[in-house]
Amino acid sequence: PSWGHQRLSWGHQGPPLGTSGTLSPALSPVLRRCHLPVSPALSPVQAWVESLRHPEDTLRGLAELHPDVFAVTPRLDVLHAVATWQRNYKRISHARVRTRAEVRGGGRKPWGQKGSGRARHGSIRSPLWRGGGIAHGPRGPTSYFYMLPMRVRVLGLKVALTVKLMQDELHVVDTLEMPSSDPRYLQDLARFRHWGRSVLIVDVNEFPENISAAVEGLKSITLIPALGLNVYSLLKHQTLVLTLDAVAFLEQRLLWHDRRYSPLYPFSMPYRDLPEPPRAG
Amino acid sequence: MGMRNGSSFNILPETTHGLLTRLWHIGRKEDRVVEADQAAPEKEERSEPSLICPPPRSRSYFPPEDLQSCLESHVREVFGPSLPEDWQQTPLQENRLKHRLLARLAAELGHAVPNSQLHQMRCAGDVLGFYRTPVKDGSKIDELAAAELPPNLKIIWQQ
Repeated sequence: PSWGHQRLSWGHQGPPLGTSGTLSPALSPVLRRCHLPVSPALSPVQAWVESLRHPEDTLRGLAELHPDVFAVTPRLDVLHAVATWQRNYKRISHARVRTRAEVRGGGRKPWGQKGSGRARHGSIRSPLWRGGGIAHGPRGPTSYFYMLPMRVRVLGLKVALTVKLMQDELHVVDTLEMPSSDPRYLQDLARFRHWGRSVLIVDVNEFPENISAAVEGLKSITLIPALGLNVYSLLKHQTLVLTLDAVAFLEQRLLWHDRRYSPLYPFSMPYRDLPEPPRAG
Repeated sequence: MGMRNGSSFNILPETTHGLLTRLWHIGRKEDRVVEADQAAPEKEERSEPSLICPPPRSRSYFPPEDLQSCLESHVREVFGPSLPEDWQQTPLQENRLKHRLLARLAAELGHAVPNSQLHQMRCAGDVLGFYRTPVKDGSKIDELAAAELPPNLKIIWQQ
């Protein structure tokens, strides 16, 4: 598919367009338009297209981002709901304590009902006794599984992307090609561009060797495929770096949910009339 | 222990442990040689100017005095003949021209429009308004620490 933008390769010629003051008019800018229809009442939001080839290469081009994905109402309650769901739905608590019936012993009445002067008791393992069972303790394993509606999870992703863009923590990169596989280069680049303490890099295709090797040694920079993007990771990392392919992929997948029919049976099962297998956002 | 063939060190070790220790030491020397070889080309790679990262610049920005004339000249240069009467009303709808103008201004003034405000730059007047606002780098505590304080007040700020 034609992406509607141009890619140019350049050798070690130095930074093309950057805030250092040197201009190289030989390179044409990388421009990206929105491929999916935008409502006439809204206009696309924009972001600079940067490059990882040189630390000062931050003004490669201009990318248009769909407003229904990158400029939605900032629903912080949805973000909280989705982040809490992500933490809890996988949780199985194995805490379990014994009740008075499960504690060893305690079948016999310790002393007679009347006459001994002590309080009346029926067993030495009742919850009142030391060493006795627990009355209302955890009775695990307990599952905390629940599912939020698909559209809420999709909206959570859209809100997270919007928040990242509007807080200047989103950066768009044309490709993830790096000149060296040195992790220090990537760290210096992130520090030079004021990216923050943690960076999340997202791409659709397989990652080039240089960046995979560089990120392996680093704890503050993470690579994930676009299918693995989630609200918890977005909130955990300070900066998000998307490639142009990842932007197109996310827009297509997240906007599909706005115009789809409700499923008659779960989308995980095959549909004959839908062109590609749809999956939960 | 039986006879050993092919031992290149001309030493008959008394035990298997001694043989293993000598093999381990010789292996270590080879590793050191290999490491030295790898370190040298790495240093050469780092000394190339294209891979050495410049130190981070401060994000503070103060608008220059001739900002309006500078901006006007850039707008006329980029947009050429197609300018309305008031140059501040020039729409920035075309992405190519918008990128060219904003990239030139960023290169000249050392301050680029952040991603969150790019969509708000609809006309040249918006760009002028953006570049008129100064930007401070440090936080309030940094300013306080840099200002003149009474002698009994000390600020220890470790980042």
